[in-house]
Amino acid sequence: MSIWSEVLERMRSLVQRRREERELADEVAFHLMMETQKNEAAGLSAQEARRVARLRLGGEEQVKQDVRRQRGFLWLDHAVRDVEHAWRTMVRGPVVAVVVILSLGVGIGVNTAIFSWIQAVVFRPLPGVRAANGFYFIEPRSVAEAAQGSGGHGGALRSTRVMDPGNYVGVSWLEYNDLRERLSAIRDAVAFRAAVLNVGAAESARRTYAQLVSGNFFLELELKPAGGRFFLPEEVAAGSSAPVVVISHGFWQTQLGGSASAVGSILRVNDRELTIVGIAPRNFQGTVLALDFDLWVPATLAPTLLGSRELAERRARDYAMLARLRAGTTAAQAQAELNTAMKELAQRYPATNANVQADLLSFWQAPRGPQKFLARALVVLQSVLLLLLVAVCANTANLVLARASARQREIAVRQALGASRARIIALLLTENLLMAVLGALLGAGIAAWGTNALRDVPFIDAFPIRFQTDLDGISLLFAMMLGLLCGLAAGIAPALQLARGDRQLALRTSTRSIERSRMRGKLMAVEVAVALVVLMAAGLFLQSFGETRDTDPGFQRKGVLLAAYDFSERESSALSAREFMAALLERLRAQAGVQSAAIARSVPLDIHGLPVRSFTLEGHARADAAPDLALRNTVTPGYFQTMGIPILTGQDFADLSDVTSAPQVIVNQEFVREYLGAGEPLGRRIRTDGQSYQIVAVVRNSLYDSFGERPKPIIYYSLRDRPAGGGEIHLRTVVGSELALAASVRGIVRTLDPSIVLYDVRTLEQHVDKNLFLRRVPARMFVVLGPLLLVLAAIGIYAVVAFAVSRRTAEIGLRLAVGASPREVVLQIMRETLRVVSYGALAGWLVAFLVYIHVAVGRPLDPRILFGVPALLLSVASIACWIPARRAARIDPTIALNSD
Amino acid sequence: MSPAERSELLQGTLELLVLKTLSLEPMHGWGISQRIQQMSSDVFQVPQGSLYPALVRMKQRGWIRSEWRITEHNRRARYYLLTAAGERQLKSERGAWDRSSAAVNRVLGWQGGLA
Repeated sequence: MSIWSEVLERMRSLVQRRREERELADEVAFHLMMETQKNEAAGLSAQEARRVARLRLGGEEQVKQDVRRQRGFLWLDHAVRDVEHAWRTMVRGPVVAVVVILSLGVGIGVNTAIFSWIQAVVFRPLPGVRAANGFYFIEPRSVAEAAQGSGGHGGALRSTRVMDPGNYVGVSWLEYNDLRERLSAIRDAVAFRAAVLNVGAAESARRTYAQLVSGNFFLELELKPAGGRFFLPEEVAAGSSAPVVVISHGFWQTQLGGSASAVGSILRVNDRELTIVGIAPRNFQGTVLALDFDLWVPATLAPTLLGSRELAERRARDYAMLARLRAGTTAAQAQAELNTAMKELAQRYPATNANVQADLLSFWQAPRGPQKFLARALVVLQSVLLLLLVAVCANTANLVLARASARQREIAVRQALGASRARIIALLLTENLLMAVLGALLGAGIAAWGTNALRDVPFIDAFPIRFQTDLDGISLLFAMMLGLLCGLAAGIAPALQLARGDRQLALRTSTRSIERSRMRGKLMAVEVAVALVVLMAAGLFLQSFGETRDTDPGFQRKGVLLAAYDFSERESSALSAREFMAALLERLRAQAGVQSAAIARSVPLDIHGLPVRSFTLEGHARADAAPDLALRNTVTPGYFQTMGIPILTGQDFADLSDVTSAPQVIVNQEFVREYLGAGEPLGRRIRTDGQSYQIVAVVRNSLYDSFGERPKPIIYYSLRDRPAGGGEIHLRTVVGSELALAASVRGIVRTLDPSIVLYDVRTLEQHVDKNLFLRRVPARMFVVLGPLLLVLAAIGIYAVVAFAVSRRTAEIGLRLAVGASPREVVLQIMRETLRVVSYGALAGWLVAFLVYIHVAVGRPLDPRILFGVPALLLSVASIACWIPARRAARIDPTIALNSD
Repeated sequence: MSPAERSELLQGTLELLVLKTLSLEPMHGWGISQRIQQMSSDVFQVPQGSLYPALVRMKQRGWIRSEWRITEHNRRARYYLLTAAGERQLKSERGAWDRSSAAVNRVLGWQGGLA
């Protein structure tokens, strides 16, 4: 007899369990009957005969249990039976089950949706790149200020500054090459920067987002082309005569119709002819989180395409650098090497590197850009949502406890019949787990929907954002784990409590127990507390988002039209850059509706930020020879008037046609505070790029890179002194009619030079909104979550009160019978419940208040959040309590007294 | 002491007795217990609680099979029948029993000395 046939037999019996169970019962009954008859024949009374028969058999249940144990894998047998039993119980009390499953489903669903996003942002930040997590940013960090104070680069200083985005200055191309040579702990590093290129013939050029990349970019990311090939070494050598480009899969499909002959064809980019050599894989969208790039061009083409000197300029820190560790090396080793390398560079190039160190940062720790925003927001959101799930668990535990109390008698009977405590706990837990698993399934469905819904949130059009978030196996596993955890968390306490209960007492007395209702009250209070904390957090989030929108950026964002042009690549132009600007501004100002006009090289609150450049202040000797740093923008006269930035002292720049005045700069208040102190700013001289400039005015601080930033020093240069072939036209007009000017601006530019393309025409407000787009994701989520939470809390309170009331039917009936009015009954129930709710609300409010004053330092306390949210919660709680109470008070006393 | 252990004590013997009983005619569980008791002249009180698990065990090993039949008193009962494997098992257990009981008897009948 093989072990296999025995196993098979056992499995068979497991499958036919139901039938066998019936047959076993019949068999035992038959045995008892025969034994009883025999005993009666021997002269015993019927009752005694039966008792002796039982005694000899050793108890029906006992025998059955032994047979079952012999027959199947007992635990599996139990499990199947428990699930069946749980299902029956659930179906018998469908309201509770539905409430629990729905609330668990929602709780698990939102958590899983966020988790899938966290996964996309943190664990799979580079779609299409398999080894994305192995990549580290190498981020140079300016420590000029720190060195000034302490003269050293202490560890404590570093750790406190590590997340300060202002100090990460980016990598220059030369620095990238230096580091690449010096770091042996990393595999070959890649460098890249974003650039906007004009694709197509000049008249119909399209702005296209591109990355300028190092030659090894695709190789190191281990990408396989969807068509063609990636760059060859000779194509990425500086000064290559064969300019090439790799296009995205999307670009290939939408712009080139997916044509098979795309590879090898010519693409006109910034008026140069580039050969398309390859197509990037479908999923790949570049190396900046969420941004969707369409072109990849060797960085060595930057001089040709953009006319820039960035390849030879150590000050041009425009690149980001990504590297993977070599096998067998640690991040700490790489960081040590990096420190040594940066020290060496500091000695060799003191002008640019004197006080620059560098950090190795994981991809999700990226110090700027979408990574930073999203990763933090998502982590905050996930914590809030987990808190929400705790509330749901408390809710569930409460309901289960409420319902299980009603089953005390059933459980006592089971115990009396010989069920062990472990079996009872298993039975009760199974019910919870079943509901939790169903909840998790529902949650997975909600998450699938939520993940997509969030992805489809319409961001700014014309901005290449793509999120490749998906609900994958890991997310589903996450949902299931949450479900099981919730089931256990919500079930273990009630199960233990019930299994511990005194069975004698339970058998004899009615089901009501003071101790248990206290437990329910506690859980309800916890739930209310958690709900209040989360609601207030949601309120804070929305408030800070609203504040961001309402923050005065230091300039007037309404009523300004922006439009970009760029002819810097063209060698010969009919007009010099300065002449073009002067002519353009003259015509624009003459245009009806234009109040003022200016041109600037950069627009504040740009997603790419303003450049940071070094300078020296004449008469301001630094002890450590470190360069002073400030943001840079280069503008025409009339800029401050157009932007609505007040000039505090001094005068605007000299006119573009002025050839006599010395080169001029204008600085902001923060610049004066940081570098000039109490001295007279006007007339002081600044040196940069080998040229001397005189400060002619001080303007008010405004925002430059992001909302919520600290004031930063900035130097405005004049386009008169530093003319450029590209810039952003700024026009101030009547609020609301900005875009109406677009056509006439186009016309004016065309008459000046038909070959110049005007692109990126938008209002300043639209431009600012771009900067806000990432903050919208969490704000939007809270808008959805807030009401959801309120509903959950309401359901919880409703269920608990409804249940408590139903247990007290007899008592309420009695009260009504002895003359209490329904109103009094309702009031009493509400008083009892709301007292508990208030305790919870008070606890939650205190926690939220502590967090609030901690987070919102220096901001006015918003009474809507501090008092409005609790008031809202309490009113919802009152309604949730009032409905079942009122129903109870309408009970017919005679029916009520006969119940239970 | 758990029920399983209690039945373990008699397991071998009980199985042999059941096989023997069923080799005479198919029988239901209660009948088996009565028959063993009768045949052993009331020496063996079959532990009824252990009988049913033992039957299941023997069924799993393929020695017996069961079917529902009508008793002489017109009642439905589960009858157990010996299979071919059961007969072989009875034979070999019987042989083993005979050899070991003979050996035990010889040991008990030993009068001393080295014959």
